[in-house]
Order: sequence, then C-alpha cells, then structure tokens
Amino acid sequence: MNEIAGFLVFPAIAAAIFVVMHTWLGLHVLRRNVVFADLALAQLAALGAAMAVAAGHPPAGTAGFSYAVFFAGCGAVVLTILRSLPERVSQEAVIGVLYVVATALTVLVVDASPQGAEHVKKMLVGSILVVGRDEVAELLVLYGAIGIVHFAFRRQLLAASDPAAPGRGVMRGVFLWDLVFYASFAVVVTSSVRLAGVLLVFSFLIIPAVIGSLYCANAGRALAIGCAAGIAASLAGFAAAVAYDVPTGAVLVASFGATLIVAALLKTRAKIAGLGAACLLSSAVLAQGAWIIAAPAADQPLLALLERTTPLRTDVFLDEAEREQRALAAVNEERHSDAVERLRELERASRWQGEPLTEEQVQVLGAHQKAYSEMARGERFVQDHLRVQARIRGRWLIGLPTLAVGLVALFAFAATLRRALRR
Amino acid sequence: MHDAEEPLGRLALTAALLALWPAATPAWAQVNVVVTTPDLKSIAEAVSGGAARVHSLIAPGADPEAFEPRPAHLVALREADLVVRVGAGYEHWLDRLIQQAGKPHLLPGGEGYLDASAGIALLEMRGRSVTITPGHAHGSANPHYWLDPVNGLAIAQRVAGALARLAPAQRPGIEAAHARFAAELRQRTVEWQKALEPYKGAPLVTYHNTWPYFARRFRLNIVEVIEQKEGVPPGVGRLAAVAKTMREKKVRAVVHEPFQPIDASRALGERTGARVVVLAPSVGSVAEASDYLKLFEFNVRGLASALAQ
Repeated sequence: MNEIAGFLVFPAIAAAIFVVMHTWLGLHVLRRNVVFADLALAQLAALGAAMAVAAGHPPAGTAGFSYAVFFAGCGAVVLTILRSLPERVSQEAVIGVLYVVATALTVLVVDASPQGAEHVKKMLVGSILVVGRDEVAELLVLYGAIGIVHFAFRRQLLAASDPAAPGRGVMRGVFLWDLVFYASFAVVVTSSVRLAGVLLVFSFLIIPAVIGSLYCANAGRALAIGCAAGIAASLAGFAAAVAYDVPTGAVLVASFGATLIVAALLKTRAKIAGLGAACLLSSAVLAQGAWIIAAPAADQPLLALLERTTPLRTDVFLDEAEREQRALAAVNEERHSDAVERLRELERASRWQGEPLTEEQVQVLGAHQKAYSEMARGERFVQDHLRVQARIRGRWLIGLPTLAVGLVALFAFAATLRRALRR
Repeated sequence: MHDAEEPLGRLALTAALLALWPAATPAWAQVNVVVTTPDLKSIAEAVSGGAARVHSLIAPGADPEAFEPRPAHLVALREADLVVRVGAGYEHWLDRLIQQAGKPHLLPGGEGYLDASAGIALLEMRGRSVTITPGHAHGSANPHYWLDPVNGLAIAQRVAGALARLAPAQRPGIEAAHARFAAELRQRTVEWQKALEPYKGAPLVTYHNTWPYFARRFRLNIVEVIEQKEGVPPGVGRLAAVAKTMREKKVRAVVHEPFQPIDASRALGERTGARVVVLAPSVGSVAEASDYLKLFEFNVRGLASALAQ
C-alpha cells in the first residue's frame, strides 16, 4: 500500500492544482459559452508539439512547449476576434472548424515524423500518473503567476466574460481583457494537456465549473464548490484506479462524470430523483425481457449481471447430462490453460538457467502450447454453446414475466413521476 | 526521293533496336523484392549481392504498429517479383494489400511469396484464436524472432534461396554474398555472446514483450513485462506490483524502445534505482542501428554498459 501511495502523492497534488486553476477558467468559459474552445486550443497545442518533433526537437523540452504555446496562442487570438464577428456567424461553428482542421494538420505533420504519433496519442490520454516533483514545481510557478493576474484583475475579467453584465457595452478595452483571458487560457491548457491529456483537462475545466454554477451564481462561491467537487472526484478516481487497476486518466474522467451526476441528483428533489431512477430501471428490465425473447442467442447483459451477482442460474434449463458436460468443460479448460502456462514457464526458465533448449525442442514445445490452447478454446466453446442452449430453452419462461413486470413498473413509475413534476 | 526515304530509314533502325533491346537486358535485371520490415530489407540486401532491389513497406524508424497503407505501397507491390513477410501475425494488413495489388504470384503458395517465419522455432505460442491474453494482441506467437541472430541466419538462407530461384543467372553471386553474410553473422554472434556472458541470468524488466528471442540467445532473464495490453498504459496497481517485483529480484535495468511512452519506465527506474536503457527493436528505430549487424552491436553494447553499473 505504501508503494502505491508513493506513486500517487505527486499526481494527486497535480490534480488538485489543475482543479483549482481550471475551475476558475471553466467558470469564465461557461459564461462566455465557448465550451469547446478548450478542445480547439488543446488540439492546436498538440499540433505545435508535433511540429516541434518534426523539426527535430525532443517532445518534452522547452522547444516543444514554446511551439505548443505559440500555436495555442494563435488560436487564442482567433477566439478573441471571434467575439467581434457578426451575429449570424456561429462561434461554436468556427471553434469546431478550428478543432477539426488542427487535428487534420496534426495527422499530416505527424506523418512526416516517425515518433510524433506516439507523442500525439499520449496527449489524448495523458500520463498524470507519472507526474513528478519537478513537474509539480513548474506548475506551481506558472499557475501562481497566472493566478495572480486573474486575482488582481478579477472584476474586469468577469465583466468581460459576462455578456449580460451591466456597463459591458461601454467598458473600455473589452477586446484587451478578452485577449488577456484567452491568452492565459491558452498557456494553461498547453501546460496541462501535456501532463493530463486532452480528455482529462476538458473534465477539469467544465465539470467542476458546471457543478459550481448549478449551486451558486456568485463566481467566488461557485469556485469554492467546484473545487471541492473536483478534488473529491479526483480522489475517488485515483482510488478506483488503484482498486480496479485500470488506466488512471480514463477512470478519472469517468469519476468526474459520476460526480456531476451525483451533484445533479443532490440538487433535485429526492422523490423526483428516485422516481426517475426507478423509471430507468424498469425500462432496462422491460428491454431485457423483450430482448431475451427476440434474440436468446445474443448477449444478455442484465441477465449475465444477475447470474454473476445472485444465485439465479439459467442452468435449470439444462438436463443433468448437459450440466455435467459444462462442469467438465470448465475443469478441462483450466487444466489446458495451466499446461500452456507451465510450458511457457519452462521455456522462460531455460533461457538463462541450465542447458538451453535446442531449436527442435522449442518447436515441439510450441506445438504443444498451440495444441493445448486450441483444446482450451474448444472447451470454452462447449461452455458457451451450452449457456446459449439454456437461454434458448428458457427464453419464454424468463422473458415473459420480465417483460410484464418491467412494463407494469414503468407505467406506474412514469405516471407517479408525471404527477410529481406537475406539482 | 531522298527526302521521303530518310524517315523510313530511321524508323527501320529504331524498330531493329527495339527488337534487340530485350536481349540486351538480362545481365543486369534485378529482382524486385518487397519486404515488410527494415530488418528483412537489411538481410535481403546483404545476401543478394546486388541481384535484388529491395523496398521495405514499413519505413525505417517508423512505428510498425502505426502502419497505414498508402497508394505508393500498392504500386511497389504491383512491381514486385518477391514478397517477404515476417509472419506470425505481425503484418495482418499485408494480405489485404497483396489482394488489392492483384498479383496472383504474390499470394500465399505463389512462387513470389515467402513467409520468413516458416521453420523458425517460435516462442510463446498460442492457438489461432484471438483471446484477450497479456502480450501480443495479434498473431499466434511472439513475432519478434529476428532479434535472435541465429534466426537471422535462417531468414538469410531462405531469402537467398528464393532469390536464387527467381534469378538463376545470378545464383553464384547470391550464394557468395550469402556465405559472406552468414560467416560474419556467426562470428559476430560469438563475440556478442561473450560480451553479455558476464550478465548471464541478469534480471531485466522490459516495457513491451519484444525481447524473448534476444533473451534466449544471450541468456537473459526477463522477469516482468510492464505493458500487459498493447497500447494501454499501465495502471497504478500494475506499476506498484512491478516495482515490488523489481525490488525483490534486484532488477537493475528496464529495457525500453523508442516508440513506447517512456514515463512509466522512467518513474519505475526512479523509484527502484534501476537504469532505463533504450534498445532498438528493429533496424532503423535508432540512428545507430542502420543494418542488421549494427542493430545487435547497438543493443548488445547498450545492454552491457547499462548492466555494468
């Protein structure tokens, strides 16, 4: 456990720093209604990094960062000018085009440099897990500077972001404040995307800000609520990554999504939320009932979940002989897989211990491994076939009651929900 | 009269030259060989003695996992007399390309098709089935068999044989070049084995499962492979487990390749005090490994110096 905690200290600190900075920027972004500007700027930063690699610089150096900031900065200028465009030109459309063209250009640039592809892939998923002390120190310095600017001029920046702020029309230098905002936004996104990846940075930016805005209109308090939610989501995400041993970046994004759902649920009346959940569950049950009748040989997700978590089994539809056959197949599959593993270990040990195996011996060993693998696959096929047989035999007996229950429940809950909403 | 006959005369001369032209070419006609990897290209060029023009579909230094077929590849295949592939599921995209090129002699079983893996003792065999097991997601065995110089000898022999079959007029040249290459490879293999002998059984951790054949030939002990599923970065639990194993087995080096994200290996190295050493999995993946022999030279010296500390 200590080992794992040691790995997570700096990533957790980095996540907290990211949450604070990005929530504040996210509140601005929501007010300006340019949610996907983040993706466009991140992709431009990726394009810059790809160009740096194509020009021969190492991807993670100062040159790479400068290229990325330059390209993201150009994007920032475009976004600033966007505000002055006539009404009929949709901002989101231009941002979307910027994102798509930047992505395509990145593919073309990466094509010219062999290692660029790996770097670009990394920018999507990120590698927050391997953030170290140096990176955290750099972040503190950079974000500290930007934070001071934003704190000192918070009133002007908020007024520039808010389209409905009184006196905004006559505010001097709105263009300048827009530029300051987008420029600082570009620098922050560039520095965070290389560590956390595009997906996670989007989550840091939007989700805590949405949660904060949901609960409070005042920017300062929304920031506090958003930060709290974001840090809680990050900790939950890291815990899940450890518990289920899954890629950290992706599970963090999922955790942020779940936190948003929880926050939204907490805001709605408990009764409505409960009825809504009950409706969803009834629909799932209804769908499963209809599905097993229509296509019993296909995957049955809800049924599989029930079989895994409860003592319910579709085995009852198999006769004694078939059940024995299935059990025997499972045992044999395990035996064959073990045999493959043992042979693998034997070969591995012979590489550096004792006498090396001759080419013929390796070939014979390989042939055995192949044969055992095929046999294991055969046993798996037998088990799958029997499982499908059981479901086919039980389709009406399982399907009709499930369908009926789901239908009745859905009607009941939906009616109650509609009544509750009308009040 | 004179003016009307001149163009006719020129025409007759040109026709005569064109008729005799095919008889003039065989002496320097090269066999067009298309191979899939730069390693095969290096071996093919070494044994051909100038009798073959070799083109590699995967460019040197390119990530083999990120290969994308292009019109230029189809053109190359259309002009090919011989196609040499690594096999063992390494290039699943080649079959489609050959079919699209529409040359029946390049299809499996044709006289212009050579699967270099036939006859090689493959390691880590699995069945034909595609299951989610750790290691290589594609193919039925570990495909990186060219990283064993003895397998390189086998590849050289088969390629030389195929070339001699397709260009019988140049057989003496091909056989001489092949003999030279085989002799040098054998001699250097002994030297490399001697260089790595002090580190026999040294525990290593690799990021990607590229090195079983290399480990077998040079008697190295690969304790753990960090990447369990191709392309998926390792999670915290996996990194912690590997770090624990590294401490228990006193692993001193983490072997890494130029295309893998280096952060996980570097983090592990920092936490356990092991050195991260970058080795070349293929000719051209690092600048120093410009041909098959230099590839091993780079890898062996690199590993030896990393383990020496």
